[in-house]
Amino acid sequence: MSSNQNYIFPPDLYYDRATHIWARYDDEIVTIGLDALGLESLGDMAYISLQAAGLPVQRGESIGSLEAAKMVGDVIAPVGGVIAARNDDVLRDPSLINRDPYHAGWIIQITPSDWESDSAQLAHGADVTAWVESEIERYRSQGWIE
Amino acid sequence: MLEFEVSFMRLITDNDVSASFGLAADECLAARVGAGQSEPTLRLYTYRSHCALVGRFQNLENEVHRAYCAEHNIALNRRPTGGGAILMGADQLGVALTLEGRGDDSYSRAREWMTQFSSGVVHALQSLGVAASFRRKNDIEVNGRKIVGLGIYRAPSGGLLFHASLLVDLDLPLMLHALKTPFEKISDKEIATVADRITTVRREIGRAITVDEVRARVAEGYAATFNVSLNGGGFTDDEWVAISNLQSLKYDTAEWVNQTTAVPDATGSAKIKTPSGLIDVRLTLAGNTIKAVMIGGDFFAAEGAVADLESSLRWHSADPKAVAAPLETAYTQRANDLSSLPRDSLVQVLQQAIRRAQVAESASRADPYGCFVTPEGAHV
Repeated sequence: MSSNQNYIFPPDLYYDRATHIWARYDDEIVTIGLDALGLESLGDMAYISLQAAGLPVQRGESIGSLEAAKMVGDVIAPVGGVIAARNDDVLRDPSLINRDPYHAGWIIQITPSDWESDSAQLAHGADVTAWVESEIERYRSQGWIE
Repeated sequence: MLEFEVSFMRLITDNDVSASFGLAADECLAARVGAGQSEPTLRLYTYRSHCALVGRFQNLENEVHRAYCAEHNIALNRRPTGGGAILMGADQLGVALTLEGRGDDSYSRAREWMTQFSSGVVHALQSLGVAASFRRKNDIEVNGRKIVGLGIYRAPSGGLLFHASLLVDLDLPLMLHALKTPFEKISDKEIATVADRITTVRREIGRAITVDEVRARVAEGYAATFNVSLNGGGFTDDEWVAISNLQSLKYDTAEWVNQTTAVPDATGSAKIKTPSGLIDVRLTLAGNTIKAVMIGGDFFAAEGAVADLESSLRWHSADPKAVAAPLETAYTQRANDLSSLPRDSLVQVLQQAIRRAQVAESASRADPYGCFVTPEGAHV
């Protein structure tokens, strides 16, 4: 497991380097959430809205929006496909994302249209450790984390 | 070093705009600047008196008194940026800074953006002799009193919109009648309580400065902090068309203005008697987030210290550990100012108010035909 102090990055997940969104591929479904450094920067989640199940999406497209502290931004799909499910618990209590980001705080599920191609653009396996370390160093050098 | 460096910036000034046009223009510019279709722009403008603007995800019913607003021709709309409801008009300067975002940093720089983007306003206020400073997260304050509200929106194109509402002046009674607050009635006492937490440029400098003079200072502030010349201009023909489309398709529609969120609001209150006096807490939760909190009573605390405490709690998680952390920081920084407000008692009464809000929320879910809890509703 890649980690540095409190920043945990489970090694079985895939990570979008640009958006700090994680993806878990399991039984032809991709589950998506926000990783530890993304959450560190955004802070406490206040609100989230998500596109409805059944909507086709492309990698890089917005699949919803969120408000953390006072920043409003989009949730970007790390893979293309069709939205399979939304986490109703997170819609009702977005702080669940902060409390349990990799399990109960998952955000949305997508049935991928081209997992092989899309996942090749995400950090995974041995790449994760190096990427996380460089990200933590970057955050630290900017004074964003101690 | 500046996170965002621009070689030029357009300055647009407009006044008396409608709520739907003002917001459509800001979102439209953010999208276009992100896509490289428009220049980075600083827009300094005023709304037609008055309009009530709620945050991106707020439920309008929880935030404004619809009947009062309708009766007083106060327009209602929803910002693309987050945060709480505000009242805007001729004496409140709207600031909309739109810049091209960086494609590889969707989430990782939110905190730094807010610091840099707010610096132009802070610079302007300080040049007027107002001791304003950025308070992490979302406010610019003067000795614990809020004078500017801040928010950031990132458009799907990557463009960034920094929103600020600068209070040159404010009709407090009107605001308290139009917006829902934790108060059950509005009298001189409630107005004075809010006046302890909000201030204006005119109040701080003690003279009737015009909005135009403040606007000129803000423009100078951004020119200085971004080290850039501002080129005065207006919307291009393409922008007018795009703004008009967005206005009619989004900001003029009931679907946008009246949309709701699954995150419920709930209020709770609690009181505790201490040797130093009574502590009376009223708060509103949005889900598990503290949206609003008012700490009152008859204890003694230095000016601004209580408002500082409240501000440190707003938009924080309501989890017990999360509540304790900002209080610890505040008590460390203002030990003398808060010496007559016992921290343990404050923590106790806050947690009791939070529990009561959570119980109220659970009860409202169990009784779908019951009255939905609103911030001014009966406190549990």
